[in-house]
Amino acid sequence: MKFRAVMIDAGPMREFSNVVTIISKLSKECVLRLSDDLIYFIVSEENSGPSPPILWCEIPQAMICSEYQLIGLDEEHKDIYLALNSGNLARSLVTLKTAKSLKMKLTKKQCPCLTLEIESPCTVSQQTRQVTHDIPVTVVPRKLWSDFHEPRVPDPDISIELPPLKQLRTTIDRMKTMASEVVIRASAEGRLTLQIKTDMAKVSTRFKGLRVEAFGGPIEHSDSETETQINEDMSRVCYCRVDAKKLSMFLSAEQISTNSTVCSIVHKKLVILCLQTDENIKLQCFISGIVY
Amino acid sequence: MKCHVPGPNVKVLARTVHALARFGDELYLESLPDCILLRTLNAAESAYAMVKFNKNFFSYFNYNYYSTEDNEGLKCKISMKSALNTFKSPTHIDKQVENLEIKLDPESCKLIFQLKCRHGIVKTHFVSILDCKAMQAVYTKDTVPNRITSPQRILSDALNNFQSSDDQVTLEATSMSLILRNYIDCSADLTKIIRTQISLKPAEFDSYMIGTETVITFSLKEFRALLTFSEALNLPLQLHFETTGRPAVFIVHNGTTFEAHFVLATTKADNASQTTTTQNTNIERSKRKDTSGTQGSAKKKPHLDPDISKCLDEDSHLFNFVDIPGDNEIILSNKLNGNHSINKDKTVNDLMDCDNIPASPAARTMIKSVFKRCFESTFDPRSIQGAVLAENSDSD
Amino acid sequence: MDEGTSQYYFTASMDSGKTLCSLLKAIQFQETAVFCALPEGLKLTVEEGKCVQASAYVPSDNFTEYHVRDDVDVMFKISIAVLAECLNIFGSGEESSLKMYYRGEGSPLLLVLQPQSVNNVMTDCEIATQTADSVLELRDEDAEEVAKLVLKAPAFLGLLADLERSCEVFELNLSPEHPNVSIVTYGMQDRSCIDMPKSSDMVQSFSCESPVTLRYQLQHIRTIMKALAISTKVVLRCSSNGLMLLQLKLEKEDQRQMFSEFYIVPLLDD
Repeated sequence: MKFRAVMIDAGPMREFSNVVTIISKLSKECVLRLSDDLIYFIVSEENSGPSPPILWCEIPQAMICSEYQLIGLDEEHKDIYLALNSGNLARSLVTLKTAKSLKMKLTKKQCPCLTLEIESPCTVSQQTRQVTHDIPVTVVPRKLWSDFHEPRVPDPDISIELPPLKQLRTTIDRMKTMASEVVIRASAEGRLTLQIKTDMAKVSTRFKGLRVEAFGGPIEHSDSETETQINEDMSRVCYCRVDAKKLSMFLSAEQISTNSTVCSIVHKKLVILCLQTDENIKLQCFISGIVY
Repeated sequence: MKCHVPGPNVKVLARTVHALARFGDELYLESLPDCILLRTLNAAESAYAMVKFNKNFFSYFNYNYYSTEDNEGLKCKISMKSALNTFKSPTHIDKQVENLEIKLDPESCKLIFQLKCRHGIVKTHFVSILDCKAMQAVYTKDTVPNRITSPQRILSDALNNFQSSDDQVTLEATSMSLILRNYIDCSADLTKIIRTQISLKPAEFDSYMIGTETVITFSLKEFRALLTFSEALNLPLQLHFETTGRPAVFIVHNGTTFEAHFVLATTKADNASQTTTTQNTNIERSKRKDTSGTQGSAKKKPHLDPDISKCLDEDSHLFNFVDIPGDNEIILSNKLNGNHSINKDKTVNDLMDCDNIPASPAARTMIKSVFKRCFESTFDPRSIQGAVLAENSDSD
Repeated sequence: MDEGTSQYYFTASMDSGKTLCSLLKAIQFQETAVFCALPEGLKLTVEEGKCVQASAYVPSDNFTEYHVRDDVDVMFKISIAVLAECLNIFGSGEESSLKMYYRGEGSPLLLVLQPQSVNNVMTDCEIATQTADSVLELRDEDAEEVAKLVLKAPAFLGLLADLERSCEVFELNLSPEHPNVSIVTYGMQDRSCIDMPKSSDMVQSFSCESPVTLRYQLQHIRTIMKALAISTKVVLRCSSNGLMLLQLKLEKEDQRQMFSEFYIVPLLDD
């Protein structure tokens, strides 16, 4: 197995560093899957089973790498799957923001490593300085590869464009000090509500005028738990209850400059946040709904 | 002792205390006719710092004010915590403090720090003196083969690439490059730790002279503290070092009013093993004069033996000494004035034997009674001469 | 205000709840506060044991609209932590308009906030209220004031920030003789002393008839630091029974003022 890639553009290097930083906030471990076209970062729960991973990130290598060579195990098994500590990778990439170039390669030191060679400008002279990080990785055995394939998710009931993530995060951070769960509600009319409810308080932040990308048809509300606004057609409203801290963690993706972020909801079951950047980096976060 | 520190210099003193606080928990003060020395040693005896403030650092200087004996300056030890309490927020202290007076109150046995601040505010700290002794370590700085002068920021920028969990750094010095690596204990799990390496070029430094290519490893905690110190004061840092196992000396000075020496014990990179260190412990111990009668177990870290300290109490207030083979000062400094007896060959050879012992044990501050001369007013503390004693620590 | 709220016990509006939020955070060293809507303005009081009592007072001229029914006492217990978080729901970088409603006894306190920079979002909050016990009156009518010191708040904050936290006791020595004001703290083996003569330009006024030494728990004194950080002036009054009153004034850009007040009970000599 062989892998070697080089990045020389400042913008993509910065985004790459940001993506890895967000991943490191979500989970200590992640899987780096290298294929001919795409670099994937995958974070999954311990016992994922059939449920989707927590985070699925696709980076088109051609958009960020100036050189890219990959040789897999054999013709049938062309991709390389590496498990690594995301914190280690994130901390090593911090200096990428001011670096001139990054070379990544798979090496074998005392154990298999992802070696990063970062060329940074010197403070004084025109010369560059080289920093090398050897990050230990574990090669994921083939039998586990199916855990790291494209996530299969049910069709969402609604897909709505989110307001700026920074705004959302500020509000969710305040909410998470008051409650552990938050209900995300979206309507085909372009309204989004974040709501928490405890013995002490009920707080609802309501956004309107948001663009609805898709609406899957009338939602059935069999329970009387749903509270209704006046004149609201409940068949066009769906919601999902999620962990407030998890949501806040995902929203730290506000660091990435995105064109847009779309939130898709599978009624009561799943919330999917999907970000896309200028370099076509796609980041998808999956938060499962809490059902009582 | 009584002295006044003018406003702008209070910041330097504050920075000094904060840097020394990262080394040890106790602060030794000594006043001499032409300077004041602040010293500290860490618990493991592997890191030592000494900062000398010359007479011209002060706006008023009386080294033996209040002393009971003629020509006897102040020698005392206070808790580092007390010192830190006096010098809070070093970044802002220069905007607040106009003047600082430090004086000894012999009746209450307290050291009084009085800060005259802006707006007519006066802050007084009455600090208890824990002990009336001095302390000094001996090390070589001037005849070392390897000397680098580094402008600020280069080293700390380089260290930014390391993980905060790294606690030791290895420096590989060759004439072509200076490579910094995080040191990994042989017992650590290699599958979990990132190895980082940075290569710096000689051209990046103000001066770069490597006489003997070498690899040395020392603690990051104290190194970071001394880097912060040199940067806060906008001064370059001099690195003076020799070979594996010998202490590395880091010097920060402004050429006129103060000079700081930070001495870090070094261990050999990547090969330190338990067995060799304990072996060294034994060897070093056996060289000591047997007044203590303590043999100690191999695993025991070298430290001040109670018997020795007792006999030192009667001695010239110097603590913890070791008899060096040959019992003579070894002159390695080029700056010396030729009054001192030289028995170079014999003792250097003995030293060479010491050199061949890899990774010797924890540093000990060692003073020979002969060094009492250091405290005579004619002696120029700048040309420190003395037996080079292995002051290395276990990579613990 | 909307119609239909005229019968409400209490309604109020503000262009920006930011300063109110900072003020509440400054007295937030306990979970709950007693909320009083008085005709003169809003007052929230927090107590720690029987040793420290802090109040935030917002005169009615800070509000664009302020209405309290004069035939009722508007007083209830509420979580000050939740109230502060709600006021801050759009973050401290945002100025948000605020509307408050309290329908009647037992009702929750309703808040409606809208950020000024964006117009497609708003937040509404319902915060539970409980019946309030009366607020402890610490003032002793018979005790007289023995000393008064008026200082610039940031300067006093600087002094307090420098005190060694691990010390338990804050000793205040006041005297008509120099150095007039002396703050002493005792450590394990050391003693630190801050002298502030009345001639200092930090002191705006000082009066003291005869020397007095008072001791307080340093931890209690430190509770005023957050409030000091947002205030401009502090008046320190000591009464003959040792009770210390600190009154802090906060001045906004529009010249309106808000206040915070701290009563601190002295340490008794054993």
